Amino acid sequence: MKAFRRSRHQFVAVFSADEAGTLSLLASQLSDLLENRSSYDSDPALLRLLPDAYPDDAEASAEFRRFTADDLAVRKSANARRIVADLAPAIGVTSATVVKVDAQAAQAWVRSLTDIRLTIAARLGIETDDDVESGDAVVRDLYDWLGFVQGSLVECLDR
Amino acid sequence: MSDVLEQTELVESTMLDSPWVTIVWNDPVNLMNYVSWVFRSYFGFSRAEADVRMLQVHHDGRAVVAIGGREEMERHVEAMHDFGLWATLAKADA
Repeated sequence: MKAFRRSRHQFVAVFSADEAGTLSLLASQLSDLLENRSSYDSDPALLRLLPDAYPDDAEASAEFRRFTADDLAVRKSANARRIVADLAPAIGVTSATVVKVDAQAAQAWVRSLTDIRLTIAARLGIETDDDVESGDAVVRDLYDWLGFVQGSLVECLDR
Repeated sequence: MSDVLEQTELVESTMLDSPWVTIVWNDPVNLMNYVSWVFRSYFGFSRAEADVRMLQVHHDGRAVVAIGGREEMERHVEAMHDFGLWATLAKADA
């Protein structure tokens, strides 16, 4: 992996086939989760992706969700599928691949990397700053790597 | 009697007009530079203002990022959820 850097109007990173495959799988799982969502209460990841807007008012939160959740889920799913599409050329190849993302796609990437990290954190039970060091070491490494990828993209967008 | 009615109306209209706030809550996932970037790109805050609010979220657990009518605050909350930030709305005086 080479972190994102800005090249004129594009954002450029280098992914190994394994890295591209892993991120693509996570993005595709996120898209499935959003498209097949049913109950919010039973899934902490969905509850974090589409949170209660009124923490002390279940009825108002449900009403808000009725008006916003479908559109949000469609947008979030489309963002995730954008990552899958952009990574496709980097999967199943023998050498690392340069992945170029335009400004519009970068908006999808940075949001979806957030959503993927939120989903993993919810599954790991990371709820406070103190929980960050807990959990399975392999998943922790993956979570940290996703933070590295996202952080580098934010730095590019930030200029 | 008319005084009471007038007063009641006054109270009601004050309640209807009372502003709402958009609150962003701390979470252990979102990167500090991402939160600051979201505040700048969506709300149009200066870098200094965005960093102040972001650090407020980080240290105090929450920050008010907008104040106004309920519908406007609902739009902001939806936009924050689009970015993956944990946002809620509440009456300003609550």
